[in-house]
Amino acid sequence: MKKLSPSIYLFLIGSVLLCSCTKFNDSINTDPNNPTKASGTQLIANAELSLPGIGSSPYGVHYPQYLSNTSFTDNSRYTTINFNFYSLYTGPLMNLENAINSELSANEGPVPNQIAVAKILKAYFYWHMTDRWGPLPYTTALKGKDNFTPAYDNQQSIYNSLFTLLDEANATIVTTNGTVKNDIVYGGDINKWKKLGNTIHLLMALRLSKVDAAKGAAEFNKAVTNGIMTANSDNLSYPHLLEQNNENYWYNQFTRLGRNWFALSKPLVDYMLPLNDPRLAIYGNKNTAGNYVGLEYGKAVPNSNDINNVSLLGSSLRQQNSAVALVTYAQALFAVAEAAKLGWVTGGDATAKINYDLAIQNSISQWTGSTTGAATFLAQVGVQYNAANAIQQIAYQRWVHLFLHGYEGWAEWRRTGYPILVAAAGANGDKIPRREGYPTQERANNTTNYNAAVAAFPYSGADDLNARVWWDKP
Amino acid sequence: MKKKLLIFFFSFFLSITGLYAQKTVKGKITDSDGGTALPGVSVTIKGTATGTTTNSDGEYSIEISKSKSTLLFTFIGYGTKEIPVGNESILNVVLSNDEKQLSEVVVTALGIKREQKSIGYATQQVKGDNLTLTKEQNVIGSLAGKIAGAQVTGSSGASLGGTQKIQLRGVNSINGGGQPLMVIDGTPIAQSNFGGDANGVDYGNISQDINPEDIESVNVLKGPAASALYGLRGQYGVILITTRKGTKGPKKVDVSLNSAYSIEKIGNFMPLQNIYGVGNNQTFLTLANGQKYINGNDESWGPKMDGTPVRMYYSFYPQDAQYGQLTPFVPQPNNIKDYFQTGQNVNNGLSVTGGNENSSFRLSYNNAYIKGTMPNTWLKRNNLGVSSSLNLTSKLSVGLNATYANNHGQRPTQGYQGSFTGAVQWFQRNLDVNRLRDYKYADGTILNWNVNPTSAGLITNNKPSDWNNPFFDAYEVLNNDNRERVFGDVNVSYQLLPELKLSGFVRTDFFTQSIAHKEAFGGRLNEGYAVAKYQNKENNYEFLGQYSKKWSDISVNINAGANLLTQNYSQLVQATAGGLSSPANYTIAASVDRPFSTSFSRQKEVRSVYAMGSFGYKDTYFIDASVRNDVSSTLPSGNNSYWYPSLSGSFVFSELIKWKPLSFGKLRAGYAVAGSDLAPYQTSFTYALGAVYPASTGTINTLTVPDNLKNPNIKPSFANSFEIGTDLKFLNSRLGLEFTYYNQQNKDQIINLSVSGASGFDQTVVNAGLIENKGIEVSLTGRPVQTKLFSWDATLNFARNKSMIKELYPGINVYQLDVNTYSSVSIYLNSTVNKGFGSLVGQAYQRDPATGMILLGTDNMPLFETNHDFGSVLPEFTGGFLNNFKIWKFDLGVMIDFQKGGQFFSWSKMLAVKSGQAEETAVLNDKGANVRDAIADGGGYKITGISQATGREITAYVDARTYFRNNIGTRIYEEWLFDASYIKLREVSLGYKLDSRLLNKTPFKSAKLSLITRNPLMIWQKAPKGLNPSELSSGSASISWIEKGGLQTVRSFGVNVNLTF
Repeated sequence: MKKLSPSIYLFLIGSVLLCSCTKFNDSINTDPNNPTKASGTQLIANAELSLPGIGSSPYGVHYPQYLSNTSFTDNSRYTTINFNFYSLYTGPLMNLENAINSELSANEGPVPNQIAVAKILKAYFYWHMTDRWGPLPYTTALKGKDNFTPAYDNQQSIYNSLFTLLDEANATIVTTNGTVKNDIVYGGDINKWKKLGNTIHLLMALRLSKVDAAKGAAEFNKAVTNGIMTANSDNLSYPHLLEQNNENYWYNQFTRLGRNWFALSKPLVDYMLPLNDPRLAIYGNKNTAGNYVGLEYGKAVPNSNDINNVSLLGSSLRQQNSAVALVTYAQALFAVAEAAKLGWVTGGDATAKINYDLAIQNSISQWTGSTTGAATFLAQVGVQYNAANAIQQIAYQRWVHLFLHGYEGWAEWRRTGYPILVAAAGANGDKIPRREGYPTQERANNTTNYNAAVAAFPYSGADDLNARVWWDKP
Repeated sequence: MKKKLLIFFFSFFLSITGLYAQKTVKGKITDSDGGTALPGVSVTIKGTATGTTTNSDGEYSIEISKSKSTLLFTFIGYGTKEIPVGNESILNVVLSNDEKQLSEVVVTALGIKREQKSIGYATQQVKGDNLTLTKEQNVIGSLAGKIAGAQVTGSSGASLGGTQKIQLRGVNSINGGGQPLMVIDGTPIAQSNFGGDANGVDYGNISQDINPEDIESVNVLKGPAASALYGLRGQYGVILITTRKGTKGPKKVDVSLNSAYSIEKIGNFMPLQNIYGVGNNQTFLTLANGQKYINGNDESWGPKMDGTPVRMYYSFYPQDAQYGQLTPFVPQPNNIKDYFQTGQNVNNGLSVTGGNENSSFRLSYNNAYIKGTMPNTWLKRNNLGVSSSLNLTSKLSVGLNATYANNHGQRPTQGYQGSFTGAVQWFQRNLDVNRLRDYKYADGTILNWNVNPTSAGLITNNKPSDWNNPFFDAYEVLNNDNRERVFGDVNVSYQLLPELKLSGFVRTDFFTQSIAHKEAFGGRLNEGYAVAKYQNKENNYEFLGQYSKKWSDISVNINAGANLLTQNYSQLVQATAGGLSSPANYTIAASVDRPFSTSFSRQKEVRSVYAMGSFGYKDTYFIDASVRNDVSSTLPSGNNSYWYPSLSGSFVFSELIKWKPLSFGKLRAGYAVAGSDLAPYQTSFTYALGAVYPASTGTINTLTVPDNLKNPNIKPSFANSFEIGTDLKFLNSRLGLEFTYYNQQNKDQIINLSVSGASGFDQTVVNAGLIENKGIEVSLTGRPVQTKLFSWDATLNFARNKSMIKELYPGINVYQLDVNTYSSVSIYLNSTVNKGFGSLVGQAYQRDPATGMILLGTDNMPLFETNHDFGSVLPEFTGGFLNNFKIWKFDLGVMIDFQKGGQFFSWSKMLAVKSGQAEETAVLNDKGANVRDAIADGGGYKITGISQATGREITAYVDARTYFRNNIGTRIYEEWLFDASYIKLREVSLGYKLDSRLLNKTPFKSAKLSLITRNPLMIWQKAPKGLNPSELSSGSASISWIEKGGLQTVRSFGVNVNLTF
């Protein structure tokens, strides 16, 4: 006892503590705060939350000069060159990718339909993105740890991939008992989704008119055959709610933040006002003097008094629950009209005129809630279909129709060259942007692929606002 | 596991030592200084293992077998005595602590007291008195400059206990974190911070719950060599705090009362121009009726403030006495300063310290009240501390240390759009802030300057665009926080053998932090209420065996222990949405829309065993070795056990070299591995709940893939550290030098690596990188002057650190630590391979490569380039200079700290220029005209550079607003980066101790009166006036590199009275 070495005790304690001590109760490192199982429709619903952002953009809305800035004119003068696409990948696209690749439950609707909806939305987001940035990571994107430095695909191959994706969606949709759950935009109506997918397909096909008419025509006809939208009720229009967490962007700006920063631009009002366009009263408010007045686009020095003197964005478009129109029947009709004129579909000017007239009627109906005044409007010289001038006419009316959906109006401006717009003086070298710059983080996070993508721009140029995307052939 | 530990623990108590003896020697051991009894002195029979220790009265009793025995009396920090027993049966011994200075006792890892000379690594100690020199409330803040190699980044006193950050030996963590572990009397305490980034409320790091008056000393274990015994909590060093305690011995009670009062004054205002008022251009706005008026614009590029009669904002409120009236448009030079008030700081403390033969006791209470320098802000703090120890038998003792802390505050909001912190950023030079003081009319209408009347002179929308009336913010937008906290331990120890002590501890630290925010109706934001509750509990169950023994020339010291750590954390955060259903009804239930609500909980467990041995030979050669094993529940199961070893040695060469001027000399070297692990739940994939869409047809819940990818293969990170140094003392210790060189390699850091978002994730948890820190630390102490009436003690600390990112992650060379974006222009804080830690990257002037001159565009405005690397934000060296003077009955403490190098981005300065408020935007040019005058009239800003188009040098005059506002103030960040070098007089205390003769007839034993001041003077700084490089810490961001509307510098001046009974 006397010479009992204390180190024996210590050794014993040590060995007891060491053995069997690397095993913890399983629950201890299991996150109790978050789910581990996917719900396909909840992932899709989360992606849908990102839809209004495509339309309600304080940047896109300036490129086709729908709105001018009253107080702070930086955005209308293109001071932002680089735009971040990360949140589109990590947000909606990653959620959709997970829905497409996870084991889904048929309790939320037919699994093929859940996957088809996810694919249509995936195509829609990617389409929007490639039209803004051009080449983008696609084939090797969204692979998580398998590839943290995805390579950029050129726009042509992205378009081809998206056409395929939409074909797959169209082919796999089950229309009998096809309703899917948790659908914000269509309440689960799978027939509307099918039409949306094909309408996107149609509009994408038309985008190729400058660069690859043959491919464009083929894809266009495929979309028509598969069945596009047939009424305004088919529109992809994001419904906002009378609730702070789901409110309209412009409501947030004007009412919540008190920013009367956005007025109709002069080119838009100057085009619409002489034609007594019934949509003008929706698009903008009268100024304090009771007139519709557009604000000079992209002033270098703003004038505080402008707010009183010009037409601010229309009140009905900035209610808390104002819907955001994204893909519309009228746009599809304009596309068919143009395709007929281009000879992509049969019928020539006759078909073009029918669809052009229908497009305007449906546009007026979509914006004003009725077709009142449409006939009078259509009968005017300058609006009336004119075969000699049809492409320009369609483009101008499409521009008016696509109001507030800046990125789409801008894409069509780049493709058709209409309307004829003048850049803000002194901004971006007096040039209207034709592309948006890549996120600056890509230079550091994905250097090699970023450099390769910029080097491979189809019509050369730098990673700025002025290089052209593939379909925007000079 | 807990049970097993206990069984073994008690088995020790059951062991019995045998008795065999022929003669008993008894005695008492006292300290030569004052004669107090010395408990715990080791008494051994020379040449045997037999021995005992003195009890709490300093008494011992030992059986010896031979009368020729010699007894060895050893006590840490005192000289050893050898006394032959002879025929004596009573041996009273006086141990001398004369050598104290040579063999100082320091507290090392696990609270083990060691003689400093036996230690092979660097530690540095600060005495409590030097920490409470001027009653700084945050122990970290009070360490500034007092430890070589510790960089303390403070925050303004206006935040009422805001964040003070400390980093030892540079940044050892790639993400800039890596705060040392705080340990108080052996209990690790949480260092959380509930503040946001530079925007928001700074609630401060919660180490401020330690009552500075309770601190006996702080010991800083600077690197892994010292902290390896903390295993995966030791990578970033450890701050060991030892509290004051009572002493066992003759019955004695001391009562001490401490009372301090100081006033707090705002200082360091940015110089602003007083010529031009609000507006985008120099033309007055006019109403429909022709009157000139001022709108709610927030920039000062407007007309001259020449007294022109104008309608000011208040003239548009029918409720206002000056409704409809014109008032002169004049400058308000003090319109920022006038917002602030003189703050007050009242600090009262009481302590009762006592003890008798078998027990010791200390009770302390401290109460602090601060009235802030910003209107309607305050902080109340209460600290109650108890520590006691009781001897149950001569061998068994139990003890308790406990602190209760309560913090209750109403604090300002800082940053952009904070509590008037944006005033230098966007404001009108013509606004009289006093006119805004009565912010509410009798009918409830809020008086706002940042609203726009119509041309008819009506305010149709009284909601301010970007800036509330600052007094509305102060009185109606409130941030309240409250924290209740208890930490401490209960312990039991048993002296099993004279040389073996066993101890057990149960330690805890738990707190509940509540934070509430009220946003009243009438401001720029929705009326609303947010409330959050955070709870954390950490328990440590610890066992320690300490064995120490000395055989003539050889000393052995072995410690072994085990620890079980459990952490439980939960939070509940809720906020209303869409407003409140009835005004000022601040409750979540009043939310108009579905309120935001989240709850979160996490738990963690770490099991550890450890041992260390220290061996000394002839008091000259020492060697230490330690090893620790940690098993952490947050690591992947099956791969969660890791070892952390250390080895160090020291050589006291002064024992061999007898050179008179050298009183002490030691060489030391150490090598160690320490680590750090990660938060729970980082190893397996989960989805996250997304926003909710309450459609009329039924609520739609959403699910999302998180943007941060978890990693099932994560390992702890390891720091391999080597250090070598020397401690020298000369001239009877009048002069001392401590020098250390270290090289620390931090490998496999667990970071959220930024990756291309196109992968589907923004970030991924990885083991990445190798960051190397090399540096030196020098601490010079001395007493240059020592006379009867005057003496001067000084300590100069100096540290230089060089960090280098050696590796990041395969294929990735840049790690983005932070980013700030304003007006779509970003500046990044990056770590780049083969560069120093934390480089700022952003937009700079384009320069001509040949001359270095700036390039100008066709409009003669400077051209800029993106992605320019401006270099590291970290300082080259830091240090402090602590002086204690004794002059007759006065003592004077002066603390200076300094920093060379490092840089920061000042968003405030940039915006002050952009908004036309800064002085330099309205100066005269070389033609004698104001830069804002028309160029045709001789005005304009004179710019010189090289034309990009022609390659020729040009000098031109350009429009001031275009130059300042749209060019340099928007996109040339090179202009807004400032060197962070400074020398600051941080603390001064002048005390006078009353003559004890004067106190004879009073109940007081001693009385001392001091004048104190904190932060009285920035002696020198490289950055322009109005910025404070020593107060960049704001919120919980790990690296301070941005000043974004920080709170104003506060200087405090006060008096302190200390009385003992």
